[in-house]
Amino acid sequence: MYFTDTKICIDGDNGLGKDAVIVAADLVKTYKTKKRKGLFRGEKKLVEALKGISFKVYRGEIVGLLGPNGAGKTTTIKILATLLLPDSGDAWVNGYHVVKQPFGVRKSIGIMLTVERGFYGKLTGRENLEYFGALYGLDRRYMEERIDYLMKLLELDKLGAVDRMFEEYSLGMKARLGLARALLKDPPVLLLDEPTLGLDPSSSRMIRELVRKLAHREGKTILYTTHNMFEAEIVCDRILLINKGRIVAEGSPEQLKSLIPKLRIINMVIRGGKGVEEIVSSMGFEKYEAKYEDTIVNLKISVEKPEDVLGELIRRIVNAGHEIISLKVEEPTLEDVFLYYASKT
Amino acid sequence: MASLFLLAVWAEMKMVYAELIRRKYMLLMLAAYPYILMIFILLIGMSIGNRQIFIQRIGVSPEIFFLVSGFLIMSILGTSDDLLWRPIYDEWIGTLPYVIASHIPRLYHYLAIPIPRLLIAFFTGLTSVLPLMVYYYGLHGFIEGLAVILLGLFSSIIFIPFIMVVMGFIYGFGNVNWRVINVIRPILLVLLGAYYPRYLMPLAGYIVSSLVPSSHVVEAIQRLLIGSLNGLYAFILLGVATALFIVYSPIGVYSIGLWEKRKISEGVKTE
Ligand SMILES: Nc1ncnc2c1ncn2[C@@H]1O[C@H](COP(=O)(O)OP(=O)(O)OP(=O)(O)O)[C@@H](O)[C@H]1O
Ligand SMILES: [Mg+2]
Repeated sequence: MYFTDTKICIDGDNGLGKDAVIVAADLVKTYKTKKRKGLFRGEKKLVEALKGISFKVYRGEIVGLLGPNGAGKTTTIKILATLLLPDSGDAWVNGYHVVKQPFGVRKSIGIMLTVERGFYGKLTGRENLEYFGALYGLDRRYMEERIDYLMKLLELDKLGAVDRMFEEYSLGMKARLGLARALLKDPPVLLLDEPTLGLDPSSSRMIRELVRKLAHREGKTILYTTHNMFEAEIVCDRILLINKGRIVAEGSPEQLKSLIPKLRIINMVIRGGKGVEEIVSSMGFEKYEAKYEDTIVNLKISVEKPEDVLGELIRRIVNAGHEIISLKVEEPTLEDVFLYYASKT
Repeated sequence: MASLFLLAVWAEMKMVYAELIRRKYMLLMLAAYPYILMIFILLIGMSIGNRQIFIQRIGVSPEIFFLVSGFLIMSILGTSDDLLWRPIYDEWIGTLPYVIASHIPRLYHYLAIPIPRLLIAFFTGLTSVLPLMVYYYGLHGFIEGLAVILLGLFSSIIFIPFIMVVMGFIYGFGNVNWRVINVIRPILLVLLGAYYPRYLMPLAGYIVSSLVPSSHVVEAIQRLLIGSLNGLYAFILLGVATALFIVYSPIGVYSIGLWEKRKISEGVKTE
């Protein structure tokens, strides 16, 4: 399951053979920046943002690019959106090469790069969409119909946002308008960079649900970045775990979870004292964590087979005169997977 | 293809008018601008010189000369301001990546950007140049005034590809920075010859200035005002201006492409 297939594309293969709509082959990008030192002196600094990234996204699939801050998610999106040149490597979107055929790529994609910026503040939501629709060369009549449709789809009409100036928008409205712009020309490919960043649960949920519908009902191919594991788990069909410019793991959310050692977590809340920890260590558990709040202990123990030890553990705690307030056995979350890989590289 | 251009004009109109209508004092400012300039310059002029000498030297009364110059500067430099500002503005508010990722032909887009303000300039001409000319020359002044206004708009439009060339190269090789505009503006002001007629310039100045398409039209307007424009000379001036417009157009598109490539190679800012 580890990602070893770095050179996916042979020269000239545009990757369309197997219905791969987005193909990235060994993308490398190093930013050159200057670090200021005093008034005139500057020191050249290199930031290796991508160290050879390869992946494919197939038609109708939502692939999540999941990684912490600075992992290289935005850099990847920008290269695919023809807004940044890679130092080496190739990428194709909808059969067009991102460096050699940028206009073909631009016609095929809808992009959303940030939630809170990217529109003209003095224009209303509708006027903004009309403006970008014109830059995309959309026919006026088609454009107006499409805008009406999208305003309904994203519930901007219900929010009364259609004829309000963008500068008065809430973050949730801005995100919806951003997605509406990405969908304006009904492109086959969507590149969405953290589209739910900072949104409240109801706006995030509507965007996530819409993204799933767009892929699974309308067959759009979607690359979706996030640093939120919970989100990646519920939105994406497949997840690429990216860290420090490399893809460190790849698979469906379930597959990724199965990649880490099969530990379960016993989570107990106990009324007692220091004695609890002695009991735990006397039973030979190695991976545990105890947090105290007055006489309440929150205990987390990682074990492979909780069913083998749970009976004995409860007996000892109760016999020592402590009181168990709650008990849960938890599956590892994607967050655990994520921390596991983040710590490994 | 023509429909793409009209679409771009429609979009730019929405953009500019939405801002203007929502800030009415801007509209007032625009209407008052040529008058303010004229009064300002006349006051300065009267303190250092003599009206009669001006008329002898330039061949037209200073009120008309400076009001027309104010109108020309407003529409021509307004055009270059609109264009030079746009990338800075787009980058600042975060719309640049979406504009660069659009597939509208760049010439159409850049031609469309200043048009809304030129329409406003047209109305400003009707409220400033026209009444003054009628006051001085009656019906004849009306016709001449209208010609001045239309030629002013023409000189603004043919300015666009020239500015595209300048801006593409400056932004492409240097940096996109509003300070650059402050450097370019006074140079353009001199080269246009609106305040200092070109036919009074030293030869070197004359030659450099003739590379600026609009300067020919400005000269035509000035000659029209002093009554020394004959048909053939007008034809030559406007012909040269149009030829320069045609020559600069592809270079302008190339130059803008250069700047966009530079942006893409360092990465279009999104944050
Ligand atoms: N224009 C730039 N100049 C210099 N370094 C940059 C530039 N853009 C990004 N970087 C650096 O490249 C690395 C990858 O950045 P990138 O924006 O792709 O990360 P990201 O995964 O999108 O992170 P985040 O979750 O914070 O958005 C980071 O170390 C970042 O500091
Ligand atoms: Mg990012």
